[in-house]
Amino acid sequence: MTEEQKTAEFEERIGRDEKIEPGDWMPEKYRKQLIRMISQHAHSEVIGMLPEGKWIPHAPSLRRKMILIAKVQDEAGHGQYLYHAAETLGVTREELYQAFLDGRAKYSSIFNYPSLSWADVGMIGWLVDGAAIKNQTMLAQCSYGPYSRAMVRICAEETFHHKQGKEMVLKYAAGTAKQRDMVQDALNRYWWPSLMMLGPHDSESTNTPQLVKWGVKTKTNDEVRQEFIAETAPELIASGLTIPDPDLHQDEDGVWHHGPIDWDEFWNVVKGNGPCNAERLGMRQDAHDNGQWVRDALEAYSEKKYGAAAFA
Amino acid sequence: MARWEVFKKDNARKPYQAVGSVHAVDPEHALHNAKNVFVRRPAAVSLWVAPAAAIFSRSAEELENQPLDPTANGHEQRYLVFRKASNRRSMTFMDHIGETSAPNGESALAQAIDQFDDKPGLAWWVIPAEAITASEEDVAEAWFAPAATKTYKQQSQYGFVSKLREGRKGAVTSDE
Ligand SMILES: [Fe+2]
Ligand SMILES: [Fe+2]
Repeated sequence: MTEEQKTAEFEERIGRDEKIEPGDWMPEKYRKQLIRMISQHAHSEVIGMLPEGKWIPHAPSLRRKMILIAKVQDEAGHGQYLYHAAETLGVTREELYQAFLDGRAKYSSIFNYPSLSWADVGMIGWLVDGAAIKNQTMLAQCSYGPYSRAMVRICAEETFHHKQGKEMVLKYAAGTAKQRDMVQDALNRYWWPSLMMLGPHDSESTNTPQLVKWGVKTKTNDEVRQEFIAETAPELIASGLTIPDPDLHQDEDGVWHHGPIDWDEFWNVVKGNGPCNAERLGMRQDAHDNGQWVRDALEAYSEKKYGAAAFA
Repeated sequence: MARWEVFKKDNARKPYQAVGSVHAVDPEHALHNAKNVFVRRPAAVSLWVAPAAAIFSRSAEELENQPLDPTANGHEQRYLVFRKASNRRSMTFMDHIGETSAPNGESALAQAIDQFDDKPGLAWWVIPAEAITASEEDVAEAWFAPAATKTYKQQSQYGFVSKLREGRKGAVTSDE
Protein backbone atom coordinates (compact mmCIF):
# COMPACT_ATOMS: atom_id res chain seq x y z
CA MET A 1 0.00 0.00 0.00
CA THR A 2 1.21 3.50 -0.78
CA GLU A 3 1.40 6.28 1.78
CA GLU A 4 -1.66 7.91 0.17
CA GLN A 5 -3.71 4.69 0.39
CA LYS A 6 -2.73 4.22 4.00
CA THR A 7 -3.64 7.81 4.79
CA ALA A 8 -6.99 7.41 3.04
CA GLU A 9 -7.72 4.30 5.10
CA PHE A 10 -6.63 6.08 8.26
CA GLU A 11 -8.99 8.97 7.51
CA GLU A 12 -11.82 6.53 6.83
CA ARG A 13 -11.26 5.00 10.25
CA ILE A 14 -11.48 8.43 11.84
CA GLY A 15 -14.62 9.11 9.81
CA ARG A 16 -16.16 5.96 11.35
CA ASP A 17 -15.35 7.33 14.85
CA GLU A 18 -12.86 4.57 15.50
CA LYS A 19 -10.08 5.31 17.95
CA ILE A 20 -6.49 5.06 16.76
CA GLU A 21 -4.60 2.88 19.23
CA PRO A 22 -0.90 2.21 19.89
CA GLY A 23 0.36 -0.17 17.19
CA ASP A 24 -1.99 1.23 14.53
CA TRP A 25 -0.61 2.94 11.45
CA MET A 26 -0.78 6.74 11.48
CA PRO A 27 0.62 9.52 9.29
CA GLU A 28 3.93 10.82 10.60
CA LYS A 29 2.44 14.29 10.83
CA TYR A 30 -0.40 13.03 13.07
CA ARG A 31 2.16 11.42 15.37
CA LYS A 32 4.32 14.56 15.50
CA GLN A 33 1.39 16.89 16.14
CA LEU A 34 0.12 14.65 18.93
CA ILE A 35 3.52 14.48 20.61
CA ARG A 36 3.73 18.27 20.43
CA MET A 37 0.24 18.82 21.82
CA ILE A 38 0.27 16.15 24.51
CA SER A 39 3.72 17.07 25.82
CA GLN A 40 2.95 20.81 25.89
CA HIS A 41 -0.20 19.91 27.75
CA ALA A 42 1.77 17.74 30.22
CA HIS A 43 4.30 20.51 30.86
CA SER A 44 1.43 22.95 31.48
CA GLU A 45 -0.04 20.67 34.16
CA VAL A 46 3.34 20.38 35.85
CA ILE A 47 4.14 24.09 35.76
CA GLY A 48 0.53 24.81 36.75
CA MET A 49 1.26 23.52 40.24
CA LEU A 50 3.52 26.49 40.98
CA PRO A 51 1.33 29.63 41.00
CA GLU A 52 -1.17 27.94 43.32
CA GLY A 53 1.19 25.72 45.30
CA LYS A 54 2.82 28.86 46.60
CA TRP A 55 -0.42 29.76 48.44
CA ILE A 56 -0.88 26.45 50.28
CA PRO A 57 0.83 27.73 53.47
CA HIS A 58 -1.35 30.85 53.45
CA ALA A 59 -4.78 29.25 53.05
CA PRO A 60 -7.29 31.01 55.34
CA SER A 61 -8.89 27.79 56.66
CA LEU A 62 -8.14 24.09 56.95
CA ARG A 63 -10.86 23.31 54.42
CA ARG A 64 -9.35 25.69 51.85
CA LYS A 65 -5.91 24.28 52.52
CA MET A 66 -7.06 20.69 51.95
CA ILE A 67 -8.86 21.70 48.76
CA LEU A 68 -5.79 23.47 47.41
CA ILE A 69 -3.44 20.62 48.28
CA ALA A 70 -5.79 18.18 46.54
CA LYS A 71 -5.97 20.42 43.47
CA VAL A 72 -2.21 20.78 43.18
CA GLN A 73 -1.82 16.99 43.62
CA ASP A 74 -4.34 16.49 40.83
CA GLU A 75 -2.27 18.69 38.49
CA ALA A 76 0.80 16.54 39.22
CA GLY A 77 -1.30 13.49 38.35
CA HIS A 78 -2.56 15.11 35.15
CA GLY A 79 1.03 15.70 34.07
CA GLN A 80 1.73 12.00 34.60
CA TYR A 81 -1.36 10.81 32.67
CA LEU A 82 -0.26 12.97 29.76
CA TYR A 83 3.45 12.10 29.67
CA HIS A 84 2.38 8.46 29.58
CA ALA A 85 -0.10 9.09 26.78
CA ALA A 86 2.74 10.74 24.82
CA GLU A 87 5.01 7.76 25.48
CA THR A 88 2.67 5.50 23.49
CA LEU A 89 3.80 7.53 20.44
CA GLY A 90 7.42 6.43 20.74
CA VAL A 91 9.00 9.13 22.90
CA THR A 92 10.08 8.92 26.54
CA ARG A 93 8.97 10.97 29.50
CA GLU A 94 12.63 11.73 30.23
CA GLU A 95 13.33 13.29 26.83
CA LEU A 96 10.11 15.30 26.90
CA TYR A 97 10.83 16.55 30.41
CA GLN A 98 14.39 17.46 29.52
CA ALA A 99 13.17 19.54 26.57
CA PHE A 100 10.85 21.32 28.99
CA LEU A 101 13.60 22.03 31.54
CA ASP A 102 15.92 23.24 28.77
CA GLY A 103 13.28 25.71 27.63
CA ARG A 104 13.00 23.97 24.22
CA ALA A 105 9.36 22.97 24.78
CA LYS A 106 6.39 25.26 25.20
CA TYR A 107 3.73 25.24 27.86
CA SER A 108 0.58 27.26 28.49
CA SER A 109 1.29 31.00 28.62
CA ILE A 110 -1.09 31.50 31.54
CA PHE A 111 1.26 29.99 34.12
CA ASN A 112 3.86 32.69 33.54
CA TYR A 113 1.67 35.27 35.25
CA PRO A 114 2.24 35.82 38.96
CA SER A 115 -0.30 34.87 41.65
CA LEU A 116 -0.27 37.98 43.83
CA SER A 117 -3.08 37.40 46.32
CA TRP A 118 -5.10 34.59 47.86
CA ALA A 119 -8.04 35.57 45.65
CA ASP A 120 -5.95 34.58 42.62
CA VAL A 121 -6.38 30.97 43.73
CA GLY A 122 -10.15 31.28 43.32
CA MET A 123 -9.87 33.20 40.05
CA ILE A 124 -7.41 30.66 38.62
CA GLY A 125 -9.79 27.82 39.53
CA TRP A 126 -12.76 29.52 37.93
CA LEU A 127 -11.17 31.07 34.83
CA VAL A 128 -8.00 29.11 34.10
CA ASP A 129 -9.29 25.66 34.99
CA GLY A 130 -12.61 26.70 33.43
CA ALA A 131 -10.92 27.57 30.13
CA ALA A 132 -8.83 24.41 30.34
CA ILE A 133 -11.95 22.27 30.82
CA LYS A 134 -13.47 23.73 27.65
CA ASN A 135 -10.42 22.56 25.73
CA GLN A 136 -10.15 19.26 27.53
CA THR A 137 -13.80 18.34 27.06
CA MET A 138 -13.24 18.79 23.35
CA LEU A 139 -10.01 16.77 23.43
CA ALA A 140 -11.80 13.93 25.26
CA GLN A 141 -13.37 13.22 21.82
CA CYS A 142 -9.91 13.05 20.25
CA SER A 143 -9.28 10.31 17.68
CA TYR A 144 -6.15 9.08 19.46
CA GLY A 145 -7.24 6.59 22.16
CA PRO A 146 -4.58 7.25 24.82
CA TYR A 147 -5.01 11.04 24.64
CA SER A 148 -8.79 10.84 24.77
CA ARG A 149 -8.73 8.52 27.79
CA ALA A 150 -6.32 10.79 29.66
CA MET A 151 -8.64 13.71 28.91
CA VAL A 152 -11.75 11.90 30.16
CA ARG A 153 -9.93 11.13 33.42
CA ILE A 154 -8.67 14.71 33.72
CA CYS A 155 -12.05 16.32 33.00
CA ALA A 156 -13.66 14.40 35.85
CA GLU A 157 -11.14 15.95 38.24
CA GLU A 158 -11.02 19.43 36.68
CA THR A 159 -14.70 19.96 37.40
CA PHE A 160 -13.80 20.03 41.09
CA HIS A 161 -11.04 22.59 40.39
CA HIS A 162 -13.47 24.80 38.53
CA LYS A 163 -16.23 24.59 41.12
CA GLN A 164 -14.08 25.25 44.16
CA GLY A 165 -12.66 28.36 42.45
CA LYS A 166 -16.03 29.64 41.38
CA GLU A 167 -17.43 29.02 44.85
CA MET A 168 -14.58 31.04 46.38
CA VAL A 169 -14.90 33.96 43.96
CA LEU A 170 -18.69 34.19 44.34
CA LYS A 171 -18.30 34.21 48.09
CA TYR A 172 -15.68 36.97 48.11
CA ALA A 173 -17.61 38.97 45.50
CA ALA A 174 -20.50 39.02 47.99
CA GLY A 175 -18.21 39.59 50.96
CA THR A 176 -16.56 42.57 52.62
CA ALA A 177 -15.24 45.54 50.65
CA LYS A 178 -11.72 44.21 51.06
CA GLN A 179 -12.71 40.75 49.74
CA ARG A 180 -14.48 42.34 46.78
CA ASP A 181 -11.46 44.48 45.94
CA MET A 182 -9.24 41.43 46.13
CA VAL A 183 -11.31 39.34 43.67
CA GLN A 184 -11.84 42.32 41.36
CA ASP A 185 -8.08 42.82 41.22
CA ALA A 186 -7.62 39.10 40.47
CA LEU A 187 -10.20 39.32 37.68
CA ASN A 188 -8.48 42.40 36.23
CA ARG A 189 -5.23 40.48 35.94
CA TYR A 190 -6.57 37.05 34.88
CA TRP A 191 -9.37 37.83 32.42
CA TRP A 192 -7.25 38.60 29.36
CA PRO A 193 -4.61 35.91 29.93
CA SER A 194 -7.49 33.40 30.26
CA LEU A 195 -8.83 34.38 26.83
CA MET A 196 -5.30 34.23 25.40
CA MET A 197 -4.59 30.76 26.77
CA LEU A 198 -7.18 29.30 24.40
CA GLY A 199 -4.74 30.06 21.60
CA PRO A 200 -4.37 32.38 18.60
CA HIS A 201 -7.31 33.33 16.41
CA ASP A 202 -8.31 30.72 13.81
CA SER A 203 -6.93 32.97 11.06
CA GLU A 204 -3.48 32.71 12.69
CA SER A 205 -3.66 29.07 13.75
CA THR A 206 -2.01 27.15 10.92
CA ASN A 207 -2.28 23.68 12.49
CA THR A 208 -5.99 23.76 13.23
CA PRO A 209 -7.58 22.65 9.90
CA GLN A 210 -5.45 19.49 9.74
CA LEU A 211 -6.05 18.73 13.41
CA VAL A 212 -9.80 19.09 12.95
CA LYS A 213 -9.71 16.87 9.85
CA TRP A 214 -7.90 14.14 11.79
CA GLY A 215 -10.25 14.34 14.73
CA VAL A 216 -7.58 15.54 17.14
CA LYS A 217 -9.46 18.76 17.74
CA THR A 218 -13.16 18.96 17.10
CA LYS A 219 -13.45 22.73 17.54
CA THR A 220 -11.28 25.72 16.64
CA ASN A 221 -9.64 28.07 19.17
CA ASP A 222 -12.16 30.82 18.49
CA GLU A 223 -15.10 28.44 18.91
CA VAL A 224 -13.79 27.28 22.28
CA ARG A 225 -13.04 30.87 23.37
CA GLN A 226 -16.56 31.91 22.38
CA GLU A 227 -18.08 29.09 24.45
CA PHE A 228 -15.92 30.06 27.40
CA ILE A 229 -17.02 33.71 27.28
CA ALA A 230 -20.68 32.81 26.83
CA GLU A 231 -20.54 30.60 29.89
CA THR A 232 -18.37 32.77 32.14
CA ALA A 233 -19.22 36.40 31.39
CA PRO A 234 -22.88 36.31 32.54
CA GLU A 235 -21.85 34.62 35.81
CA LEU A 236 -19.10 37.17 36.49
CA ILE A 237 -21.47 40.04 35.78
CA ALA A 238 -24.16 38.50 38.02
CA SER A 239 -21.61 38.28 40.81
CA GLY A 240 -21.22 42.06 40.70
CA LEU A 241 -17.66 42.01 39.37
CA THR A 242 -16.57 44.12 36.40
CA ILE A 243 -14.94 42.36 33.45
CA PRO A 244 -11.97 44.50 32.34
CA ASP A 245 -13.09 44.83 28.72
CA PRO A 246 -15.16 47.95 27.90
CA ASP A 247 -15.99 46.49 24.47
CA LEU A 248 -17.45 43.24 25.82
CA HIS A 249 -21.14 42.99 24.92
CA GLN A 250 -23.83 40.63 23.75
CA ASP A 251 -25.49 41.36 20.41
CA GLU A 252 -29.21 40.95 19.71
CA ASP A 253 -28.64 37.29 18.76
CA GLY A 254 -27.07 36.66 22.14
CA VAL A 255 -23.55 36.33 20.73
CA TRP A 256 -20.77 37.75 22.88
CA HIS A 257 -18.21 40.10 21.34
CA HIS A 258 -14.96 40.94 23.08
CA GLY A 259 -12.46 43.75 22.55
CA PRO A 260 -9.13 43.18 20.77
CA ILE A 261 -6.76 40.71 22.43
CA ASP A 262 -3.17 41.88 22.91
CA TRP A 263 -1.47 39.14 20.89
CA ASP A 264 1.92 40.83 21.19
CA GLU A 265 1.73 40.17 24.91
CA PHE A 266 0.67 36.56 24.28
CA TRP A 267 3.57 35.80 21.91
CA ASN A 268 6.01 37.58 24.18
CA VAL A 269 4.99 35.33 27.08
CA VAL A 270 5.01 32.19 24.89
CA LYS A 271 8.52 33.06 23.73
CA GLY A 272 9.74 33.07 27.30
CA ASN A 273 9.58 36.76 28.23
CA GLY A 274 6.55 36.68 30.53
CA PRO A 275 6.70 37.96 34.10
CA CYS A 276 7.53 34.54 35.60
CA ASN A 277 8.98 32.27 32.86
CA ALA A 278 12.47 32.14 34.33
CA GLU A 279 11.29 31.73 37.92
CA ARG A 280 8.89 28.89 37.02
CA LEU A 281 11.44 26.90 35.02
CA GLY A 282 14.07 27.54 37.69
CA MET A 283 11.80 26.01 40.32
CA ARG A 284 11.15 22.92 38.17
CA GLN A 285 14.90 22.52 37.59
CA ASP A 286 15.55 22.79 41.35
CA ALA A 287 12.88 20.23 42.14
CA HIS A 288 14.36 17.91 39.52
CA ASP A 289 17.91 18.31 40.86
CA ASN A 290 16.84 17.98 44.49
CA GLY A 291 14.99 14.76 43.66
CA GLN A 292 18.06 13.09 42.18
CA TRP A 293 19.08 11.43 45.47
CA VAL A 294 15.58 9.93 45.78
CA ARG A 295 15.81 8.38 42.31
CA ASP A 296 19.31 7.11 43.10
CA ALA A 297 18.16 5.59 46.39
CA LEU A 298 15.22 3.86 44.71
CA GLU A 299 17.50 2.38 42.06
CA ALA A 300 20.01 1.21 44.67
CA TYR A 301 17.32 -0.43 46.80
CA SER A 302 15.77 -2.19 43.83
CA GLU A 303 19.16 -3.38 42.57
CA LYS A 304 19.96 -4.88 45.96
CA LYS A 305 16.61 -6.64 46.16
CA TYR A 306 16.09 -7.76 42.55
CA GLY A 307 19.52 -7.52 40.90
CA ALA A 308 20.75 -5.02 38.31
CA ALA A 309 18.31 -3.95 35.59
CA ALA A 310 15.74 -6.59 36.58
CA PHE A 311 12.84 -4.59 35.10
CA ALA A 312 14.59 -2.43 32.50
CA MET B 1 13.21 3.86 34.86
CA ALA B 2 10.92 1.11 33.55
CA ARG B 3 7.31 1.74 32.57
CA TRP B 4 4.57 -0.28 34.28
CA GLU B 5 0.97 -0.67 33.22
CA VAL B 6 -1.55 -0.22 36.01
CA PHE B 7 -4.85 -2.11 36.41
CA LYS B 8 -7.48 -0.98 38.87
CA LYS B 9 -10.43 -2.93 40.23
CA ASP B 10 -13.16 -0.52 41.36
CA ASN B 11 -15.28 -3.02 43.30
CA ALA B 12 -15.98 -6.72 43.69
CA ARG B 13 -18.18 -6.87 40.57
CA LYS B 14 -15.85 -4.93 38.24
CA PRO B 15 -12.95 -6.47 36.30
CA TYR B 16 -9.41 -5.12 36.62
CA GLN B 17 -9.17 -2.32 34.05
CA ALA B 18 -6.10 -0.77 32.42
CA VAL B 19 -6.07 2.82 33.66
CA GLY B 20 -2.66 4.02 32.46
CA SER B 21 0.97 3.67 33.38
CA VAL B 22 3.66 4.80 35.82
CA HIS B 23 7.43 4.69 35.93
CA ALA B 24 9.08 2.75 38.72
CA VAL B 25 12.19 0.79 39.67
CA ASP B 26 10.38 -2.30 41.00
CA PRO B 27 6.86 -3.67 41.66
CA GLU B 28 6.51 -2.13 45.14
CA HIS B 29 7.48 1.28 43.82
CA ALA B 30 5.13 0.83 40.87
CA LEU B 31 2.22 0.03 43.21
CA HIS B 32 2.90 3.10 45.33
CA ASN B 33 3.06 5.34 42.28
CA ALA B 34 -0.07 3.69 40.91
CA LYS B 35 -1.93 4.48 44.13
CA ASN B 36 -0.83 8.13 44.08
CA VAL B 37 -1.55 8.64 40.40
CA PHE B 38 -4.76 6.62 39.94
CA VAL B 39 -6.45 6.36 43.34
CA ARG B 40 -6.70 9.95 44.50
CA ARG B 41 -10.46 9.42 44.29
CA PRO B 42 -12.76 6.49 44.96
CA ALA B 43 -13.15 3.77 44.20
CA ALA B 44 -10.59 0.99 44.24
CA VAL B 45 -10.32 -2.32 46.04
CA SER B 46 -7.14 -3.62 44.41
CA LEU B 47 -4.35 -2.71 41.98
CA TRP B 48 -2.17 -4.75 39.64
CA VAL B 49 1.03 -3.61 38.01
CA ALA B 50 2.99 -5.28 35.20
CA PRO B 51 6.20 -4.14 33.46
CA ALA B 52 5.27 -2.81 30.01
CA ALA B 53 8.11 -4.91 28.58
CA ALA B 54 6.32 -8.12 29.66
CA ILE B 55 3.16 -7.36 27.69
CA PHE B 56 2.38 -8.92 24.30
CA SER B 57 0.19 -6.34 22.60
CA ARG B 58 -1.73 -6.25 19.30
CA SER B 59 -4.35 -3.92 17.91
CA ALA B 60 -7.05 -5.24 15.56
CA GLU B 61 -5.29 -3.44 12.71
CA GLU B 62 -1.97 -5.12 13.50
CA LEU B 63 -3.66 -8.54 13.63
CA GLU B 64 -5.25 -7.92 10.25
CA ASN B 65 -2.00 -6.84 8.59
CA GLN B 66 0.19 -9.40 10.26
CA PRO B 67 -1.53 -12.65 11.30
CA LEU B 68 -0.24 -14.33 14.45
CA ASP B 69 2.26 -17.15 14.09
CA PRO B 70 1.93 -19.30 17.24
CA THR B 71 4.90 -21.54 18.03
CA ALA B 72 5.78 -23.96 20.82
CA ASN B 73 8.87 -21.98 21.86
CA GLY B 74 9.09 -21.22 25.56
CA HIS B 75 7.75 -22.78 28.71
CA GLU B 76 4.05 -23.30 29.23
CA GLN B 77 2.68 -20.73 31.66
CA ARG B 78 -0.46 -18.82 32.63
CA TYR B 79 -1.27 -15.63 30.73
CA LEU B 80 -3.88 -13.09 31.77
CA VAL B 81 -5.96 -11.77 28.89
CA PHE B 82 -7.08 -8.14 28.45
CA ARG B 83 -9.26 -6.79 25.69
CA LYS B 84 -10.64 -3.48 24.47
CA ALA B 85 -14.05 -4.17 22.93
CA SER B 86 -15.61 -0.75 22.45
CA ASN B 87 -14.84 2.72 21.09
CA ARG B 88 -17.13 4.33 23.66
CA ARG B 89 -15.84 7.38 25.55
CA SER B 90 -13.91 5.97 28.48
CA MET B 91 -11.09 6.64 30.92
CA THR B 92 -10.01 2.99 30.84
CA PHE B 93 -8.38 1.06 28.02
CA MET B 94 -8.77 -2.70 28.40
CA ASP B 95 -10.67 -5.04 30.71
CA HIS B 96 -9.28 -8.21 32.20
CA ILE B 97 -11.47 -10.93 30.69
CA GLY B 98 -9.82 -14.19 31.70
CA GLU B 99 -6.72 -16.29 31.28
CA THR B 100 -5.12 -18.91 29.11
CA SER B 101 -2.07 -21.12 29.19
CA ALA B 102 0.58 -21.05 26.46
CA PRO B 103 4.33 -21.33 25.82
CA ASN B 104 4.71 -17.67 24.68
CA GLY B 105 2.82 -14.42 24.22
CA GLU B 106 2.00 -14.83 20.55
CA SER B 107 0.52 -18.29 21.13
CA ALA B 108 -1.32 -17.04 24.21
CA LEU B 109 -2.98 -14.30 22.16
CA ALA B 110 -3.92 -16.69 19.34
CA GLN B 111 -5.63 -18.93 21.90
CA ALA B 112 -7.26 -16.03 23.70
CA ILE B 113 -8.85 -14.75 20.48
CA ASP B 114 -10.46 -18.19 19.94
CA GLN B 115 -11.39 -18.58 23.57
CA PHE B 116 -12.97 -15.14 24.09
CA ASP B 117 -14.99 -14.74 20.92
CA ASP B 118 -18.11 -13.19 22.47
CA LYS B 119 -17.03 -9.77 21.19
CA PRO B 120 -14.48 -8.69 18.60
CA GLY B 121 -11.35 -7.23 20.17
CA LEU B 122 -10.21 -3.77 19.08
CA ALA B 123 -6.94 -4.26 20.98
CA TRP B 124 -5.48 -7.09 23.05
CA TRP B 125 -2.86 -7.61 25.73
CA VAL B 126 -1.66 -10.92 27.14
CA ILE B 127 0.61 -10.84 30.18
CA PRO B 128 2.36 -13.75 31.93
CA ALA B 129 0.66 -14.14 35.33
CA GLU B 130 4.08 -14.20 36.99
CA ALA B 131 4.84 -10.67 35.69
CA ILE B 132 1.86 -9.19 37.53
CA THR B 133 2.10 -7.91 41.12
CA ALA B 134 -1.05 -7.18 43.12
CA SER B 135 -1.47 -4.72 45.99
CA GLU B 136 -1.41 -6.49 49.35
CA GLU B 137 -4.78 -7.56 50.77
CA ASP B 138 -3.92 -6.24 54.23
CA VAL B 139 -3.13 -2.71 53.03
CA ALA B 140 -6.33 -2.40 50.99
CA GLU B 141 -8.19 -0.56 53.75
CA ALA B 142 -5.32 1.87 54.46
CA TRP B 143 -4.64 2.44 50.76
CA PHE B 144 -8.11 2.77 49.32
CA ALA B 145 -10.60 3.74 52.03
CA PRO B 146 -9.34 7.30 52.78
CA ALA B 147 -10.14 8.55 49.25
CA ALA B 148 -13.83 8.05 50.02
CA THR B 149 -13.71 10.37 53.05
CA LYS B 150 -12.06 13.24 51.18
CA THR B 151 -15.36 14.54 49.93
CA TYR B 152 -14.03 18.05 49.24
CA LYS B 153 -12.38 16.55 46.12
CA GLN B 154 -15.76 15.50 44.73
CA GLN B 155 -17.25 18.03 42.37
CA SER B 156 -20.70 16.71 43.34
CA GLN B 157 -20.17 18.02 46.87
CA TYR B 158 -20.25 21.59 45.59
CA GLY B 159 -23.73 21.27 44.14
CA PHE B 160 -24.71 23.86 41.59
CA VAL B 161 -22.46 26.89 42.11
CA SER B 162 -23.99 29.95 40.46
CA LYS B 163 -25.30 33.43 41.01
CA LEU B 164 -27.51 33.25 37.95
CA ARG B 165 -30.23 30.94 39.12
CA GLU B 166 -31.89 31.21 42.51
CA GLY B 167 -32.94 28.20 44.50
CA ARG B 168 -29.62 26.47 44.03
CA LYS B 169 -28.88 23.75 46.51
CA GLY B 170 -25.79 22.78 48.42
CA ALA B 171 -23.00 25.05 47.27
CA VAL B 172 -21.63 27.36 49.83
CA THR B 173 -20.39 26.48 53.28
CA SER B 174 -19.16 29.29 55.45
CA ASP B 175 -15.67 29.02 56.78
CA GLU B 176 -14.11 32.36 55.82
FE1 LIG C 1 -5.13 19.76 35.33
FE1 LIG D 1 -6.94 21.91 37.17
